[in-house]
Amino acid sequence: MEKEIFTLEGAGFAYNGSFALRGISLTVKAGESVAILGANGSGKSTLLKMLDGLVFPSEGVVRFMGSELKEETLKGGFLKCFRERVGFVFPEPDVQLFCPTVFDEVAFGPLQLNLSKDGLKERVEGLLEMLGLSNLRDRPPYTLSSGEKKKVAIASVLSINPDVLLLDEPTNGLDPRTQVWLFEIMQGLKELKKTFIIATHDLSLVEDFAGRVILLDESHAIAADAATPKVLSDKDLLLRANIIHEHTHRHGGLTHRHSHGPYSTHDEHE
Amino acid sequence: MAEVKLPAWLKEARDAPCLADGKDSAPGFLEKNLEGIASFFGKMVYFEGYASKKGLLQAVEPRARILGVLALVLACVAASGVVALSGVFLVTLAIALLSKVGLSALIKRVLPSFLFTSVLLLPVFFSFVTPGEPIAGFMGIYVTRQGAGTAFFFISRVSLMASLVMLLLLTTRQTDFFRGLRQFLPAFFVTTLFMTFRYIFVLLKVAEDSTLARKSRTFAKGSLRESQDWFASRIALILKKSLSTAEEVSMAMASRGFNGKLDAIGPARMGKKDLLWVGLAWFVFFLSLGL
Repeated sequence: MEKEIFTLEGAGFAYNGSFALRGISLTVKAGESVAILGANGSGKSTLLKMLDGLVFPSEGVVRFMGSELKEETLKGGFLKCFRERVGFVFPEPDVQLFCPTVFDEVAFGPLQLNLSKDGLKERVEGLLEMLGLSNLRDRPPYTLSSGEKKKVAIASVLSINPDVLLLDEPTNGLDPRTQVWLFEIMQGLKELKKTFIIATHDLSLVEDFAGRVILLDESHAIAADAATPKVLSDKDLLLRANIIHEHTHRHGGLTHRHSHGPYSTHDEHE
Repeated sequence: MAEVKLPAWLKEARDAPCLADGKDSAPGFLEKNLEGIASFFGKMVYFEGYASKKGLLQAVEPRARILGVLALVLACVAASGVVALSGVFLVTLAIALLSKVGLSALIKRVLPSFLFTSVLLLPVFFSFVTPGEPIAGFMGIYVTRQGAGTAFFFISRVSLMASLVMLLLLTTRQTDFFRGLRQFLPAFFVTTLFMTFRYIFVLLKVAEDSTLARKSRTFAKGSLRESQDWFASRIALILKKSLSTAEEVSMAMASRGFNGKLDAIGPARMGKKDLLWVGLAWFVFFLSLGL
């Protein structure tokens, strides 16, 4: 039986008096690939930040491998261990990239692992090579295109070899080729039993990659937590949670009513 | 696309447990303060609790509200004696109560300007700046009656002016405030001010997310140099963001027909109660001149 990585019991987060998340209870086990689905403002990003110990629950409890994640405990040895094992890729790469060059950016994490100089160089250059970023190694990150910035942001997180990857809107703003590239990297890491928790709107990514879906509704609570095919085939649930929408249009003399998304159908004719 | 070959080190698994050591410690000073600043600005923008209450100031048209508060602020400036300043204080207190603004909320917002002024005026209390009758002293340095009087009067005046401005801001929705301001200042100036105010919060969000992003990748104590580099890079990022945002906003305005001239919908006429409020406020101002 796989060990539990995250356990949330009635976790909620309030900001300026209004709840961004309410009563979240779930467990994520090692090696799982979980997608967090939800409409804009449903609390997906806040949930990821809470799992990364960047914000702390205003009610309920969040545990990482059995230890409570809170401001007072996430210090010293536990902080080091936690940050080594959990990597977070932000939706906006600009906020994540702060070093003078791409090489420095990718080396930032490994430098804190006290690797030898050769070991560090080997790790960073190997990763840049693997991700096709070697030709950018001396470029300042702010001069890169959005796709390249995203690649560097992913490299900067992978360089510490985290066991858990939290990805917030990973395919947002990426061209189709880079999306495929990212999918292949994620697939390779999944085979290494890395744990993935992804917040996304990209239903095709969810369908192809995640084994389980946690659906947040517009009341900032969990509307469903089940295997991916079960959630994605429940059209009413997806419509209610504002993940897909439905509209009516005409083709010649025929009127169609159908939803948009991977499970859209043209089966409701008038 | 070629198959991705993952390096050997990425395949290394960690088996050791990851446990909290049981020792609780207080959050970091910088981190706590950054969160505090972000939360303070967030509340300043999004908190409209008092503006939606039914009270004296809320019932007055925004333009009249600004004119009235301006008269009372000028009354503070003109007040040359304790009697006049006390009178303005009582009027301010009455306005706060009638506008249903909690005194604790008001004091909390005025406190920073009170403390700032007090620190600036600290030397005025002492004999080396304000000679006069000593009332307390230590090692040859004395607090003088004249110095204390001057400093207290000045601090009270500044605090009172800050209270009035806070009352205006608390009881006025941001959009109403700028709409009101537009009647007295050039439209271009007010629009620029509004846009500056609007985009400060976009940039503040970038700064907040940058701090979180660094936090999520930091697990060993970094050097001072590294922290300085990070801070400098964030300043550069915010500058770059502000320049690119300004360029994009300018292009978005041009694409919507902006030709350098800003037109606004004309203001509604002021009603009797608005004129009464403005009249009373300016009466207080003229009264303060004579006292």
